[in-house]
Amino acid sequence: MKLRRNSLRRLAGAAGIVAGLTSSAAAGDIVWARYGDIDSLDPHRATSTLSLQVWSLLYDTLLATDADGLPVPHFAKSWTSNEEGTEYTFSLQDGVMCHDGTPLDANDVKYTIDAAFSEETPSVTKGSWGPITSAEVIDPLTIKLTLEKPFVAMIPFLADSFSSIICDSNGDGFGTTTAIGSGPWKLVSWTKGDKIVLEKNPDYKNFGKLAENPGAPHEDGLIITVVPEPQARLAALKTGEVHIAEPPFDDVPSIKDSGELDIIVAENTGQNVFWEFAVHRPPFNDKRARLAVAHATDAAAAISLIYGDLSVQENCPVSRGVFGNDQDFCAQYRPGYDPEKSKALLAELGYSMDKPLETALLVWTGGNRQKLGEVFQAQLAEVGIKASIEIMDIGSLNARVRQENETTTGTTGSMDMMTWSWYDPDILYALWHTPGAYRGYTSPELDAMLDETRVLTDPDARKAKVQEVFKYLLENAIHVPLYTPGWEWVFAVRPEVDGFFVAPFVYPNFSDVKLGG
Amino acid sequence: MWRFLGTRIAMGALTIWITTILVTLLIHAVPGDPVQIMYAQSQGTTPEQIEEVRRSLGLDRPIPVQYAMFIERLLHGDLGNTIRGGQPVLDVIMQRLPNTLILACAAMFIAVLIGVPIGFLAAYREGSVVDISLMVLAIAGISMPHFWLGLMLLFFFALELGWLPVSGSGPLNLILPALTLGLSNAAIFARLTRSSMIDVMSQDYVQTAFAKGLPKALVLRRHVLRAGLLPVVTMMGLQFAFMMGGAIVVENIFSWNGVGRMAVEAIFQRDYPIIQGFILTFSVVVVTVAIAIDALYAVLDPRIRRA
Repeated sequence: MKLRRNSLRRLAGAAGIVAGLTSSAAAGDIVWARYGDIDSLDPHRATSTLSLQVWSLLYDTLLATDADGLPVPHFAKSWTSNEEGTEYTFSLQDGVMCHDGTPLDANDVKYTIDAAFSEETPSVTKGSWGPITSAEVIDPLTIKLTLEKPFVAMIPFLADSFSSIICDSNGDGFGTTTAIGSGPWKLVSWTKGDKIVLEKNPDYKNFGKLAENPGAPHEDGLIITVVPEPQARLAALKTGEVHIAEPPFDDVPSIKDSGELDIIVAENTGQNVFWEFAVHRPPFNDKRARLAVAHATDAAAAISLIYGDLSVQENCPVSRGVFGNDQDFCAQYRPGYDPEKSKALLAELGYSMDKPLETALLVWTGGNRQKLGEVFQAQLAEVGIKASIEIMDIGSLNARVRQENETTTGTTGSMDMMTWSWYDPDILYALWHTPGAYRGYTSPELDAMLDETRVLTDPDARKAKVQEVFKYLLENAIHVPLYTPGWEWVFAVRPEVDGFFVAPFVYPNFSDVKLGG
Repeated sequence: MWRFLGTRIAMGALTIWITTILVTLLIHAVPGDPVQIMYAQSQGTTPEQIEEVRRSLGLDRPIPVQYAMFIERLLHGDLGNTIRGGQPVLDVIMQRLPNTLILACAAMFIAVLIGVPIGFLAAYREGSVVDISLMVLAIAGISMPHFWLGLMLLFFFALELGWLPVSGSGPLNLILPALTLGLSNAAIFARLTRSSMIDVMSQDYVQTAFAKGLPKALVLRRHVLRAGLLPVVTMMGLQFAFMMGGAIVVENIFSWNGVGRMAVEAIFQRDYPIIQGFILTFSVVVVTVAIAIDALYAVLDPRIRRA
């Protein structure tokens, strides 16, 4: 009896020691694990989604995004513009504080914009701010932006975390070790490659961002940790080391069946996965060849097979959540699945089952895209298209696509499953306006339409022009949408986590989170 | 001895310099532009603006000029900034290098602690069931891939038993990664130690020692073990470099915040400054270890000491 008591005491003591050493998070800390780290704490220095998600926690923006992906007032409680669309005046909320106790006001907005357009170190997103020529402080709660020419995409940009407002009290170490903002969370530390430790901003006020909670986060801390291995993330979720993480795709069905973890799928992500083609040489210099591929592709079936209900077919060149997206409109022009029509087009071009159209099929690694590629490969084979899959990292894919577009000789084609994400249809300008992001398809007609999408200030007129671009891209099979979302969009959440959700464009929200017992 | 070390250090410095040149050439040979990658998938920037960023980063200059810029910064103790995020490369590396070194040292400790005794025992009992069993076990260890072993250890000790954390870079987090790296390398050391010891025990001087009537334990410890460790010490140097590199897989599985994982990410992102910084650091560490091993080798073998 005595021996048993001693053994139990030793065991309990050891367990306590292990638990104490193991736990790096306090009881009130939310732990979120992701596959990678941010690139910088400075919103002007990076473009990755991983960085944006953290900036959205640290900083405020002039505007916010509603559930449908549209910009709404936030730090800027209202704004006016002149008739030409070259001057915007924003009225700011009063009483918003930076994390260091200084007030957030028009001077900080000016500081942020001036930094974006500085000569020495301009923001890497300078182009997305638009042709701003000056940021003038009218008074502490009023700022006026002047543009060289109209750029209506600036308004949705000001709702995205690329436009995070940097407090002008930031000094040495900004972007590397310090980050003073006015968002719901304050930076405690960033151990590069490992984790970011945040604590709640007790003075936070939410005016327009999606959240039930109008003030400071409920929990005391948020730890964003890097766990590259999907199986390790799943294990950490099960042990309780992590509260929220993206699980391995192949485990999602079993997770759902067991009910052990909740599965939350982001919506209105703006992510668009699509076919694009090397159009400067045969066979895809011919519209019929591109249409043949489009008609041979049963995206809905392939997606259902590989992703289940985690993703859906997308009909538009910009995805759900982005201005102008209209599934019914795009369905009229998107070349749908029709293998007979595909075969007929191939026959016109001189191809047949015995003499197949040959093309490379470039696919980006990860996210089970290689499996999806194989399904598409099989679909194409059924109509007489011989696609050779080449799987590569995103860097090589980008280089390869451009290389293929710049190759004008040869008869073997090249097509790729490309992926882009943006909050505004202006992404189509970057992709398809001369010279094009990958030097692919361009035309004067398309350029003219894209130019207009940047200057039309009337929302209805702009939407009509944007959809005109959609029609052009779809009818000519230049940009054949496949599915949305496409990457890093599934979250597994432990049962004690309440209130977690993902806002449009994959911004997880933690202000509403409460950790139950 | 000092001449010996001086020569080794000079050769090491030359190796490092040649490595920086080769790496600069090779990373530019890999397709993919770092700025294009940074903007891909999530940016509405025109190609002209991308070119502007490339110019600001100096990426529009010829490779030799870029290399000269790298060397110039290096001589000032500056490894430049990352392309993605503009972080000081030296800070990024130095925040993680200790973790990789700790992991490699811990794994080496485990590998030697387990592998050498097993190999010694197998050699002593050459041809017996013990020998065969241990060597089969060693072959299994060599054949076991890190990612499989790592995940098995993770699921067993972290998930099932709950004894250790799944991920992170704290003290307790070191155990599983070190075991993963160490066990597979222990197998290599076991086989090497066995073959080395068998070879030594067949030497005339060992037979002479036995013939003199010296105690078996004394003969084994003084004459066999010390001599037999020479190739093991050499292998330690080689395996340390391997562990530094092999740590990439282990670091990824266990989220151990080391330079290996950093390097892989940098390669995918074509972040040249980090890659150059990593290779430079790796070269320095490996060359330093090699010199240290050579020095240790000289201590163990008097013939080399006099050379």
